[in-house]
Amino acid sequence: MRTRKLATMVAGLSAVALLATACSGGGGTSDDSTGGGDGAVLTIGMPNGPQNENQSPLIPTGSAAKSLGYAWVIYESLMQVNDVNPLEDPEPWLAESVTWNADYTEAKIVAREGVTWSDGEEFTAEDIGFTLQLLIDYPAINNNFPDQIGSVSTEGDTVTITFTAPQYVNQVKLLQQVIVPEHLWKDVDPTTYTDTDPVGTGPYLLDTWTPQAATLVPNPDYWGGEPKVAKLQYSSYNDNNALTTALTTGEAQWGWTFIADFEDVFIAKDPEHNHQVAGGGFGSDILFLNNETKPFNDVAFRKALNLVVDRAQISNLAGAGVWPVITSVTGMPMPSGEQYLADDLVGEELEVDVDAAKDLLTDAGYTWNADDKLVDPDGEVVTFELVNPAGWNDYLTALDLIKTAAAELGVDATVNAANQDAWFNDIIPFGNFQATLHWTDGGATPWNMYANLMDGASYVPLGETATWNFGRYKNDEVTQALAEFKGASDEAARSAAIATVQKAYVEDVPGLVIWSRPAVAQYSTKNYTGFPTADDLYANPQPTGPQAARIVMNLEPTQD
Amino acid sequence: MRFFVRRGIFYVVTAWAAVTINFIIPRLMPGDPVKAIMAKSQGKLDSSAEAAIRTLFGLDEDKSVWQQYLDYWNLLLHGNLGVSFTYYPTPVAEMIQQTLPWTVGLVGIATVVAFLVGTLVGTGIGWRRGTWADSLLPISTFFSAVPYFWLGLVVIAIFSVNLGWFPSSGAYDRSMVPAFTPEFIGSVLYYGTLPALTIVISSIAGWILGMRNMMVTVSSEDYVTVAQAKGLSERAVVFGYAARNAVLPQISSFALSLGFIVGGTLIMEMVFSYPGIGFLLYNATTNHDYTLMQGCFLVITLSVLVANVVADFVYAVLDPRTRQEG
Repeated sequence: MRTRKLATMVAGLSAVALLATACSGGGGTSDDSTGGGDGAVLTIGMPNGPQNENQSPLIPTGSAAKSLGYAWVIYESLMQVNDVNPLEDPEPWLAESVTWNADYTEAKIVAREGVTWSDGEEFTAEDIGFTLQLLIDYPAINNNFPDQIGSVSTEGDTVTITFTAPQYVNQVKLLQQVIVPEHLWKDVDPTTYTDTDPVGTGPYLLDTWTPQAATLVPNPDYWGGEPKVAKLQYSSYNDNNALTTALTTGEAQWGWTFIADFEDVFIAKDPEHNHQVAGGGFGSDILFLNNETKPFNDVAFRKALNLVVDRAQISNLAGAGVWPVITSVTGMPMPSGEQYLADDLVGEELEVDVDAAKDLLTDAGYTWNADDKLVDPDGEVVTFELVNPAGWNDYLTALDLIKTAAAELGVDATVNAANQDAWFNDIIPFGNFQATLHWTDGGATPWNMYANLMDGASYVPLGETATWNFGRYKNDEVTQALAEFKGASDEAARSAAIATVQKAYVEDVPGLVIWSRPAVAQYSTKNYTGFPTADDLYANPQPTGPQAARIVMNLEPTQD
Repeated sequence: MRFFVRRGIFYVVTAWAAVTINFIIPRLMPGDPVKAIMAKSQGKLDSSAEAAIRTLFGLDEDKSVWQQYLDYWNLLLHGNLGVSFTYYPTPVAEMIQQTLPWTVGLVGIATVVAFLVGTLVGTGIGWRRGTWADSLLPISTFFSAVPYFWLGLVVIAIFSVNLGWFPSSGAYDRSMVPAFTPEFIGSVLYYGTLPALTIVISSIAGWILGMRNMMVTVSSEDYVTVAQAKGLSERAVVFGYAARNAVLPQISSFALSLGFIVGGTLIMEMVFSYPGIGFLLYNATTNHDYTLMQGCFLVITLSVLVANVVADFVYAVLDPRTRQEG
């Protein structure tokens, strides 16, 4: 009796509510006729919580436009770079060309002609020069080249920027630098300017903004032609769960959130239209081993552990299949790393081989006691502790699998879920760990990945604050090779340098690259097609980055 | 009158203590806001950005805690809650202003509804104890015992994902801009239905139970028997004599629950992606955003305090015994 009443009440309420939204929905779509296509709105979702009204493309944190990604369809970068192969001829965008000198300390940027800002003013090289000068004047917004820009000068349509150190490994960061209009930004402090009425060169204009969502409409005067998506709506959800629901119900059609079991949860809901794509690059997660304390101060033991850790299993179980498996013995993610592979390491694949690991240990003087526990040459039973912050479930699951792998060698490993702040402030910087997982900087070359793990330039003794090289690996040959790679002026020198580094990684195993962490995105092709696919990965598939302008310009209404 | 003055002084001292504790607590927390931002980006933000962010927040300069405390009071007395790190450079006051109305509106209304309906139902059940109506108690208690996030997720799974009747997240249609138009208000009501309903369902048991038990106690009091003996109508006896006295403890717990509205709704806001202050505080805490945390704490402490003041005075008016001294 009571339940029936409740049911009718709920149904009644929902009918009224449905009516209300139906009206508003109709009102909303009626003005969508401009901009071509079938008028469907493309909804982009990110799990970033409520936003504040800040549309600045320059500030490193706190900007809604950068957090949700629409900064990149209003403002544009100098060049478009493909994350899968960052150094292969970038596509000219706001710059016609960017030419570096031999040792990558100076770049000449030629501005594109015929581009106008959305307020009608002409875009010139002065704007590029002005934006780069801002990076010198305000260190707070210079997050890519701290203290490394020497000078900027503009002459005609060419801007020259000089650096105080070679930027070969950072060149992509300059190409992806976003440009703002001088005539509007010259009188403001870019560290506090919230840019609520953004004027850019990009394919879209900000139409409305609320803490939940930003709506953008096509820029009719866009230099690249009129975009075909009639309207973009960037929505913010409070957490991964909410965005996952929105993506599976089709409420959001493009975004990125970690969906464990994405095949069943997301793709199976609409196999024809729902896709998840991973975008290359060199981002990875590394198991840092403390090279200066037992048991990892012995290269034989590090190598043995490397031989029993099953990367495929970890990627599948701990990374839910989202993070690609590392297959090369060099630890480099493929296919991004292919062009850097040392000749003698081509085709060398990681394999789990417990017997080989045991042989290695026997040769190094290890024995097994009556309980089948591993005993090191000093006569001590080998144990170690794996540590990562509590709540970082993918990492902790990976640690559990590594612990199980270590047990095959007769080693009792323990997993310690530490407090996150303690991990950041005490464990990681001071080297107060035996083994721990940590990410690396992505970067355009494998330099960041290897340098973060093995660069002697970041070496500090245990107990002092390390910024990278948390495992305290020290090999002068590697340190020199990494420096050479960064500053070399010819391709041959760079290949030789990176080959040296790879050889050391394989021989010394200073740490274990566990899986690669490329940019991943989910999207639905129900209304629009043309997103990067696994077969045609023309850009990083995420909506938050300078590549957004390129992807959006590639989208077309789906033909049914 | 002396009673009110004494209570007034007591509350001013409490407010000072609350503000001071509010200043101290975030600083006792371990951790560093810049590290938290870097952790959140998990490699998406290059490690070279750390220095820039530190400069941006002004964290590269050292200030003594005492100086910070004085600055804090100075800003506070000017109505300035500082600038948020997470939402740099938006002032904290603006973020609170943006999120508070949603929480107060939705949870406030849901709490009032739960209180009114629960008290009424409790009155009925308590007056007619021992009838079929008693079976409502275990049903409502079941829903309050179920963890709220589970209830929320089940409701979303049924009504949003499977039936598609209600949206699963947000406070209004994302293509709309807030305005006082019938469409927008309709949208707010539509989006608020599921969250409000789940809050009412999960909190109503407390009100029913409290009211029912007081009614049972009160209905055997002499003055109720007298009222019945005078031949008054059933209705007059229930509401004029029994419920009127039984409701007193309900009022004080209602006042307290009003205070908790502001801070106690994090789970609802997470499950339904509702843009309220609970989630803002959660964000502030995970990001070590001291100023934002202080701002949120301040609003929460002050609202609990104000609710207390109101409850105190309303109680004193309703029940003369509490004002008597000595």
